[in-house]
Amino acid sequence: MSNYIVLVKQVPDVSQITGNAFDPETGNLIRSRLASVINQLDTHALAFAGFMKKISGDDNAKIIVLSMGPPQAQEVLRYCLARGADNAVLLTDKALGGADTFATANPLACAVKKIVKDFFNGSNDYFLIAGMQSVDGDTAQVPPQVAEELSLPCIAYATDARFAEGGFEFTRIISGGNQAVAPATTPAVITVAKYDYPLFASFSAARRAGNTPLAQWTGEDVKAVHVGVKGSKTRVIRVFPPPKTSRKCLNAPYAKSLARFIVDSLKSDSGGTTQAAASADSGYLLPGKRKSWLDRSFEGSDAEIRDYKILADKLQMLGIGKEAIVDEYTKKQILDVASEHFHKNALDDMLNGLQLTEPTYKGEVWVVAEQHNGIIHPSTFELIAKARSLADSLETNVGVALAGFNLGGLSQELIAAGADNIYAIDDKILAEFDPAPYRKAIADCINKYRPQIVLFAATPQGRSLAPMVSYRVGCGLTADCTGLEIRDSSRKGQIGVLFQTRPALGGNVFATICTKDSFSQMASARPGVFKRLPPDNSRTGKIIQHKVKLSPNDKSLHILKTELATGSVHFNADIIVSGGRGLQSRQNFDSLLKSLSIALSGKFSTPVEIGASRAAVEQGYIKRAHQVGQTGTSISPKLYIALGISGAIQHLIGVANAGAIIAVNSDANAPIFKSCDYYLVGNAENVIPELIDELGKL
Amino acid sequence: MSGIVDYNKVSVLIVGGGSAGLAAAIQLKLKKHDLDVCVIEKGGSLGSHNLSGAVLETQSLFTLLNAASPGWQNTDQAKEIFANKIDRNEILFFPGRKTSLNISPLIGLAKIFRLNFGQMIHKDDYSVSISKLTAFLGKIAVSLGVEILTGFAANDIILDDAGQTVGVKLVDQGLDKQGNRQPNFLAGEIIHTGFVILAEGCDGLVTEKFIEKAGLHRQRPQLFSLGVKELIKVNSDQYKRFTAGRAIHAMGYPLWTPVVGPAMFGGGTIFAADNDHLTIGMIVGLDFKYRDFNPQDALALFKQHSFVKQFIEGGTVVEAGAKMIPEGGLCSIPRDAGGYIGKANCIIAGDSAGFVNMLKVKGLHNAIDSGIQAAKAIHESLSYPRQTAARYTTLINCSNIAKEMESARNFRQTVARLGPLFGMPLSVLGGLLPKFKIEEDYKALRAAAYRLKPAASFDKNAFTALASTSHREDQPSHLTIINRNTCSQKCTPEFNSPCITFCPAGVYDTVAGQVKPANPSNCLHCKTCQRKCPFDNIRWTAPEGTGGPKYKRL
Repeated sequence: MSNYIVLVKQVPDVSQITGNAFDPETGNLIRSRLASVINQLDTHALAFAGFMKKISGDDNAKIIVLSMGPPQAQEVLRYCLARGADNAVLLTDKALGGADTFATANPLACAVKKIVKDFFNGSNDYFLIAGMQSVDGDTAQVPPQVAEELSLPCIAYATDARFAEGGFEFTRIISGGNQAVAPATTPAVITVAKYDYPLFASFSAARRAGNTPLAQWTGEDVKAVHVGVKGSKTRVIRVFPPPKTSRKCLNAPYAKSLARFIVDSLKSDSGGTTQAAASADSGYLLPGKRKSWLDRSFEGSDAEIRDYKILADKLQMLGIGKEAIVDEYTKKQILDVASEHFHKNALDDMLNGLQLTEPTYKGEVWVVAEQHNGIIHPSTFELIAKARSLADSLETNVGVALAGFNLGGLSQELIAAGADNIYAIDDKILAEFDPAPYRKAIADCINKYRPQIVLFAATPQGRSLAPMVSYRVGCGLTADCTGLEIRDSSRKGQIGVLFQTRPALGGNVFATICTKDSFSQMASARPGVFKRLPPDNSRTGKIIQHKVKLSPNDKSLHILKTELATGSVHFNADIIVSGGRGLQSRQNFDSLLKSLSIALSGKFSTPVEIGASRAAVEQGYIKRAHQVGQTGTSISPKLYIALGISGAIQHLIGVANAGAIIAVNSDANAPIFKSCDYYLVGNAENVIPELIDELGKL
Repeated sequence: MSGIVDYNKVSVLIVGGGSAGLAAAIQLKLKKHDLDVCVIEKGGSLGSHNLSGAVLETQSLFTLLNAASPGWQNTDQAKEIFANKIDRNEILFFPGRKTSLNISPLIGLAKIFRLNFGQMIHKDDYSVSISKLTAFLGKIAVSLGVEILTGFAANDIILDDAGQTVGVKLVDQGLDKQGNRQPNFLAGEIIHTGFVILAEGCDGLVTEKFIEKAGLHRQRPQLFSLGVKELIKVNSDQYKRFTAGRAIHAMGYPLWTPVVGPAMFGGGTIFAADNDHLTIGMIVGLDFKYRDFNPQDALALFKQHSFVKQFIEGGTVVEAGAKMIPEGGLCSIPRDAGGYIGKANCIIAGDSAGFVNMLKVKGLHNAIDSGIQAAKAIHESLSYPRQTAARYTTLINCSNIAKEMESARNFRQTVARLGPLFGMPLSVLGGLLPKFKIEEDYKALRAAAYRLKPAASFDKNAFTALASTSHREDQPSHLTIINRNTCSQKCTPEFNSPCITFCPAGVYDTVAGQVKPANPSNCLHCKTCQRKCPFDNIRWTAPEGTGGPKYKRL
């Protein structure tokens, strides 16, 4: 019989953000002003565990919920106890605070071991279930890292389970399709992308939950190794409000005005906007390459750049050269003229920083390639382009780790895209993506060649591989970066480090993060964020074959069936019309989207493709291949029309590069209205026929 | 309370975690700390379904809090809630959209002559957010050991053959739109209980079922008003000019303008909230006769009135909501044959009973007081549960509630009968007037049009968004139209489907030629539809728990 451990997290309620949650001066979201709730996907995970228990027919199976957090996180455990969980454990301890995913996964994995001992009598027949990601961090890193620490198979993005012949099979989302898999061994970690039937609280269970003391463990109780700020591999440098959207956010009161907007937006050739522009080249130069030894214009913050300017002025004024600044007497001299600006310790740090010219990290800039059946995922090329500019700044090479089987001519393609060295791991075991042998191969390769930067694509595959690899090699990882820049932090003795910027709290804040206590700086970036370079077939590079000992025992999954999208979806169309759950039924979805796309393609003589939100795909309105967004396809049509799509952050990221965005939704509060150009509050059922009518008149 | 074996059993069950229910829970724990007391609340958290003016007379509340949690005044939460002590209470009369008269001195005069009208002015009250107050009361109740279970909606009450209440049934959860059981279906549990306090607020679902099952009776039908309210962030100058201790009640425009204008009962309010926020409210008697009228229209006009506008122009509405008020007063309180407000071990408190004093336009203090009396009655009847209702009624009769309700006895009915123009002044005679025969609000609707109807229709979508209301979409509609033919054959031809207009949240719409609750997930739980449908053709039931608005500062 299997038992279940469900990982849950208490998160700020980002769906209910009011104006007073923002700091009026800095514009930053103040987390403490948001209500705390259970991470919604974790409620799906709990229900999924209940569902697995039910279909296995095992009434004696236990469901234990585990959370790490401050004492208030008891609330989410009680929430679970009211909904079918048998027991709950809270990992809470001051020393555990301030942890990144690395220092979160470690104590959680240790707590899992203790749960197995204390609650399951040491029985290792269990499944560890978690929501695929949390709404605050949005990294999807902790569950795969827990799997890594415990050396367990990890099945990410599960949407369904079946029980047959004494074992479970899972359906999960992969890039552009679905896959049926079974774990090769138990225990196994399952992350849940969606389960439609979260459980309801029962009165008696809720009362029992309120009257039962919860197990509270400290880091020491579970013998955790990497904890808190100290055990973390990344640190947050700064948090800032999201850049103001360049979307117009105009309300179209009638279908007629909307029709006019559509015509106008297709006329004016307004290209993609926000994200691609934000990732423009920084032109970083290593200190040794700069004209003046005093030039510190690539510091991480404006304040530091300003401080160094002041310092440079003072040094020039005093006529002090580079060699002299180590002298205590000289330092005192400088302090005399600069004490109004700097404290002595700060001055010391800054002067020490000025001595530094060599980059802190050594090695190449790497991209971990993603390929399936000999086709390289487009995001790999985008990352190579970014890696190229980073490597040029750092005066090093671009390496690509390419794992798979029968890799043939793929290396040449990667070199043409901007890579210098290809580290190819060609092995039969790697024929299909299985996180266990892949992470073993990639980690082994990274350990050997020790690149200073490793970039992964934030695709379903990359988001499960990256956390496992980084955890295995003991390096920090920042997920879903929208900005990657080389900067100095001279005062802290850091030169040429990777500043990793990413959205958090559902896109309501941005954070810049740096790696620490790691030999390599690892980050993943969402597809579509960077632009690929035009292929240059005249480029040459080296191909290095890397051998890793792999055996069938390294496999963690049996892949039963893979359903990939056929070539029938053309997301490079000028116009994409998408539907969401708001369209209520498959019939509605079909008829509204079809009639509108026929009208549009007729009117503008251009191909129109149909897209869908993840929710609509989950409802079975259309095939997964049509899914637009982070877990689907990122698109950049001239015109994007979203019907009945509320606008979850994952969806908005996927359409950020669209020329113009038009949204129709009956919920006046739909987040998509804040990230579109024109919107109409109304029921698509009523609006679309009118819109088609009005388009015909124009 | 460890050692509970059957978690579906509780000594005292309080239905509704509002001010009355929580006051009762606190008082019960003070009387007997080892008594197990459960409060169930359909809102997702305490306060999320509570909306009121609210001007609060604090005497009974403060007495209760002093006993329950000495030093409570010094908590940050209490300081925030009681930040606005009213030192300037004015009654204004708006003859038109630009003019205003301060009639406070007249009311003051009435007070000197001890006319009932004088009650309108009351000193030393606070203007408070009832959502915040409720959350605060909940915290104190929990600290005393009360079990508060939010997100649990009750939809029925179970009586035995002898008329004793034995349990309360919760709503089924996990049905799809068509009413089929989803894989996560959870049948509504039955909570077995020794005592029940029904404190659901206005027009309580279980209360009304209980009234029917237990054979309770109202001397006069209950009369309702709808209150719509907005919390507006204004600039500091406006707030300073208004002052933090000011409360304004305004009569006249746009509900009632002398001689030729519309004639509706009600008025607008402007109260100070904390930190540069003002609340604007509009209360309208549901006995209005205009088929194209919606209290939000009146709110919009009120906000445009030059007196009001000066304080809110340029401000941002940060929260909004709507709720009904039971206004019938003393003769609309449901009683059994013996005159008891309840039956045997089940008693009715707060707005569910209808303890609103219409002369003061206040009910919150009475709701709290009735909760306290309910707790005392149960405590005194622990050995004789059957006498609880009788004991409760005696305690109510001896309390300030009864005194107030008696003095305001005929006020609302007088206005309903004679209209605001003659009714208000005549109501001074109070008890001397005959008891009018009163009809239900819904019967008042006529084919008449509201003459001041604003040109632009009120933006209900924005309003609903500011109430943060939501329900799980895929559940059966919790609003039912009893007979569809009545809509198409009678209501639409005669009144042009007024539910589409008067529902403050835009729940009703015509879909494919049929009027129906098209957007039940917008519902604010105000229940106006089931009291104002001119053919009494709509029923409201409780949706799954946690559904509904999420008021925080109303």
